[in-house]
Amino acid sequence: MNLNDLQLDALREMSNIGSGNAATALASMLGQSVDLHVPTALALELADAVDAVGNGEDTVSAVIIGVFGDLDATVLLLFEPESASTLCSLLGVEGDPEMELSALGEIGNILGSSYVQAMGTMTSLHMEPYPPVAVSDMLGAIVASVLAVTAADTDLALLLDSRMTVDGTACKFGFLFVPGGAGVALLLDRLGLGEAA
Amino acid sequence: MSELVVRMGEIAATQHAGDVLVGLGLGSCIGLVIVDDRGPVAAMAHVVLPESNGNGAAAGKFADTAIPQLIREVTAIGATRSRLSAVLVGGAQMFAAAGKLDVGNRNEQAVREGLRAHGIPVRAAVTGGNSGRTMRVYLERRSITCKQAGLEEIEIATWGSQVQMARAA
Repeated sequence: MNLNDLQLDALREMSNIGSGNAATALASMLGQSVDLHVPTALALELADAVDAVGNGEDTVSAVIIGVFGDLDATVLLLFEPESASTLCSLLGVEGDPEMELSALGEIGNILGSSYVQAMGTMTSLHMEPYPPVAVSDMLGAIVASVLAVTAADTDLALLLDSRMTVDGTACKFGFLFVPGGAGVALLLDRLGLGEAA
Repeated sequence: MSELVVRMGEIAATQHAGDVLVGLGLGSCIGLVIVDDRGPVAAMAHVVLPESNGNGAAAGKFADTAIPQLIREVTAIGATRSRLSAVLVGGAQMFAAAGKLDVGNRNEQAVREGLRAHGIPVRAAVTGGNSGRTMRVYLERRSITCKQAGLEEIEIATWGSQVQMARAA
């Protein structure tokens, strides 16, 4: 399956609305505004996917939220260690790695749910998030393990990447939506840009 | 020394002493290495999933297609079929609670079954658990290492050494 520019633009716009909703939810949780960078939609060969996200051997904190329903997908949040600590300190959690991961999981839950909810409304697809899982490990191992689940049917990895910054802090993080192979076709279909369109 | 990074679904084989084969950040994926027990020849596949089910775009991506391809590639550059052995790293369950994401265990089983079917013994394996790993194969000193995030790189296997050759004889 190959995607053309028009399809990638539509997916990026959908991701923009989803992540806008997510950023708003995070801002009200933190009581601080959250900047949303212009999202990207990347359709990549599987082998290129990890490098497009970052350095595979870097240690990062991540929150993984599986999505089920009409569409199988994964929401993946990636934080560099300093950004993870900064964000946790805004929530009053400091110095305890276990507590920090748990706080990140909670943040992921709010971001993931609001993102998925906005996308579901837009596409009239029923999507539910699983409870979040938070880990700290090598970026490559995390991203590849997420992609492996959707790699059975396709050699193409679609990454909808939104980056956010918490205003007035050095806290930046990546927010990725990774639809499964069949999910990409379904989303495009709902956006009026499916194969049949 | 040049590092050949073997990315998701890829395979690389080499007989050059200066080369290092690298499987970076292996989570549920498996870095599957096949060496010639006496020669400076090695190949690595970055296996992503257990079965191809006939979907054979990238041979290295699936355990069932990666193993025959690794055998073809090492024998093509001088390895002897009857002296091959394997080392595997990875197959972790990265996200403990997310059941459907547990591909790691299935990958390991598929790789081990495939190796058995092809009559290739497993020389060493560092698998399972919940942590990502990086695997490096140093052709020059015929050494294979494994490193977890935040930990030291440790040697998990060597091949083609005097000791092993004596033992084999």
